[in-house]
Amino acid sequence: MSKPKLQARLAALSFSEKIKILEKLRDREKAIEAAGMRRQPSIQSAVAEKKRQR
Amino acid sequence: MKATLEVINQMQADGIIGNYAIGGAVGATFYLAPAATVDLDVFVTLAGTGGTLLVSLSPIYEFLKSRGGKAQDEYIVVGDWPVQFLLPSDALEEEAVRDAVFTTVEGVVTRVMTAEHLVAIALKTGRAKDHSRILQFVEQAAYDPARLSEILDRHGLSAKWTQFEHRFLEGEQ
Repeated sequence: MSKPKLQARLAALSFSEKIKILEKLRDREKAIEAAGMRRQPSIQSAVAEKKRQR
Repeated sequence: MKATLEVINQMQADGIIGNYAIGGAVGATFYLAPAATVDLDVFVTLAGTGGTLLVSLSPIYEFLKSRGGKAQDEYIVVGDWPVQFLLPSDALEEEAVRDAVFTTVEGVVTRVMTAEHLVAIALKTGRAKDHSRILQFVEQAAYDPARLSEILDRHGLSAKWTQFEHRFLEGEQ
C-alpha cells in the first residue's frame, strides 16, 4: 500500500482507534529509550567512523 | 486515555476549570494519521478568573495530586498520560478553546481544537515539529483553507503563512 493511501486509511479511523495507536507508539518510544537504543551519533563521530571503515 | 479524560471532565464538573480543549499532537491526531507523541496538551480556561491578571494552575495541580496525579517536569501524570495544562496565551488560543469541537474517546466526551486552529497555533509557534505538523495537514488535505484564512487574518498571521508557503509549499500546489 502506498504511503498516502496508508495515511488516508489511518486518518479515517475513529479518534478512539487512533488514540490506541498513539498509546502503542508512545509505549514503544518509552521502551526504546529505556533500553538506551536512541543514541544518535554526532556528525563528528559518524565521520570518524566512516574514516575508520575506509 | 479514557481514565485521563474522565479525571479532566470531573475537574471541569467540579468547577476547577472552565472550558478545555485538547491541542498539540494528540489534537492533530483527531484529523490526521497518528504520529508518535509522549504527552497530552490540554488548554484550559480557569473558572472565575475574569478580569484577573495573575492566574495560577495550582488549583489544577492540587486537584490532580489529591487524585493520585504525579508531577513530572512540566507535566502531571493523569491516568497513564503525562498532561501539560496550558492557559491560552493570546486571543488565538482563547478562540481555539472556545470553538473546539466535541468528540468521544472510548465513550468519554471531550473537546478537540479545530484543524484550522491547530494549524494557526502551529504556525504561530513555528518550531520544526510545528512546521512538520502543518505539512501533514496540507498533505492530507485535513483543513478548510477558507476557514484557516479567516483565522490567520483575524490574528495577524497571514504574512507568516505566506512565508511558510514560500518556504515549504512552493511547487507543491
